[in-house]
Amino acid sequence: MQKLTRSFNASSRDLLFATLLVTPALAVLVSLSIYPLLYSIQIALQTDGPAGPTWSFANFSRLAGDNFFLAAMAHTFIYSAFALTFEFVLGFALALILNSTIRGQRVFRAAFLIPMMIPPVVVGVVWRLMLNPNFGAVNGVLRQLGINTEQLTWTASPRLALAAVIAVDVWQWTPFVFLVLLAGLQAIPQEPYEAARVDGSNAWQTFRHVTLPLLKPAILIVLLLRTMDLLRVFDQIFILTEGGPGFATETVSLYIYRAAFRFSDFGYAAAMSFVLLIITNLISAIYIRLLQSREGVA
Amino acid sequence: MSLKREVDQFANPPRWLFFRPTLEHYYEAFVIQSFVQYLITSAIVAVASTACALVLGTLAAYSLARFELPWNLDRKLSLWILSTRMFPAIVTAVPLFLMMRDLRLLDTRLSLIIVYTGFNLPFVVWMMRGFFVEVPRDLEEAALVDGDSRLGALWRVVLPLVAPGLAATAVFCLIVSWNEFLFALVLTQTDQAMTLPVGIAGRVTQYEIKWGIMSAAGAVAIIPILAFALVVQKYLVRGLSLGAVKG
Repeated sequence: MQKLTRSFNASSRDLLFATLLVTPALAVLVSLSIYPLLYSIQIALQTDGPAGPTWSFANFSRLAGDNFFLAAMAHTFIYSAFALTFEFVLGFALALILNSTIRGQRVFRAAFLIPMMIPPVVVGVVWRLMLNPNFGAVNGVLRQLGINTEQLTWTASPRLALAAVIAVDVWQWTPFVFLVLLAGLQAIPQEPYEAARVDGSNAWQTFRHVTLPLLKPAILIVLLLRTMDLLRVFDQIFILTEGGPGFATETVSLYIYRAAFRFSDFGYAAAMSFVLLIITNLISAIYIRLLQSREGVA
Repeated sequence: MSLKREVDQFANPPRWLFFRPTLEHYYEAFVIQSFVQYLITSAIVAVASTACALVLGTLAAYSLARFELPWNLDRKLSLWILSTRMFPAIVTAVPLFLMMRDLRLLDTRLSLIIVYTGFNLPFVVWMMRGFFVEVPRDLEEAALVDGDSRLGALWRVVLPLVAPGLAATAVFCLIVSWNEFLFALVLTQTDQAMTLPVGIAGRVTQYEIKWGIMSAAGAVAIIPILAFALVVQKYLVRGLSLGAVKG
């Protein structure tokens, strides 16, 4: 965040003007995010009894004993951890490689745009088709390479389904990591590198002590945004596997969706949403703390 | 795939290039089935919600970028606005569904326009705030000295300068609204308010999947997005990182 160096003198007329400009947007945000949150606290804490709604923690205590919820949690974390690791390592490697070659970057950028921009639903449909064991392109290619694909049923196999949905996410979002990190790399000035060269640093030392610290803000932002997106994943999995086979790829978002909109169990869905919200908030708070500690040093 | 006849779709080994192209799937999807209607809904919802978010968000962003509010409120508000963007969508989907039900707005385009406006607003505020901060203040001060009102200075002096940024922000909002799935799935039930992604998804979960039709619909859903994405290529990184990294 940039600290504003110079500002208009905040006369009372300006203050009124500033407030007037910001109020409509705040009103919309309050009614579409704060109010719904309070509303969902209310429905999570109310259970319908014979004598009208009563307040209790029943929905929350039910959570702890719900093995499906715990399994969905586990899937969400496994999914997020693996996808984040692959996306980050691949994206970072690509950014480092392409940063040193100036030519071809524009073409790469344009090509890399495509997966991110495709509607997630379409991504799901296309991959569901490509992963089809009988006529899908993935197994088609493998068969032509002489690989036995009988066991590779992808989204129909409990063991492969989670790997398949992770692979699809990696396919779709590695370009994002790449593009942001490449932009970060290109914003680093040349002087520190020249200084490192004068000092006789080898390539690893230069990377470790020059590139990495200067790229830290971009790295943290990319990790923050990806983590938040991964923890709430819904669209692609909903289309690709519908959480199946069985329960193999059910994530928290899907489980909440099912509880609310298939079983009309809104109170329980709201309680689960809260747990998800608290977890994502904690994680984003850690990232933001790391980002700000960087600003404090600089 | 959308151009292949069904015989060719299921050929083994797959026929990549040498098949007889056909447009019948496009015809069936958009003429016989209701995909035209989904397309219209998607377009209306995306444009209307983008417009609302841009107006509200740009004004707020200008205020937050230019004025120091007491108690550091400008910075605190900016951060709070950003944090609303971090909510997992499913968390607000449940209460918003119930609210829209109470307001009798379920299964209307209006409900989607309202929800997407709120969804895009934090993004617009952050992007536009970044662009406004980059505009030198002297220009506005000159306009104010010349007797322009604050709003006049914003309209005549500042907005033209940030126009490319505004356009890029608009395109991002359009893409987000166009691609959004969860709220559209939750808030709509019939063809009258379904967007293209929900329409496509509705066909997938049936037992027999008409891949040709699906692919035709998917292709139509992708084309405007790709056209838009090429337009904003320059601002892509900035937009995707919520203005945090300047590409």
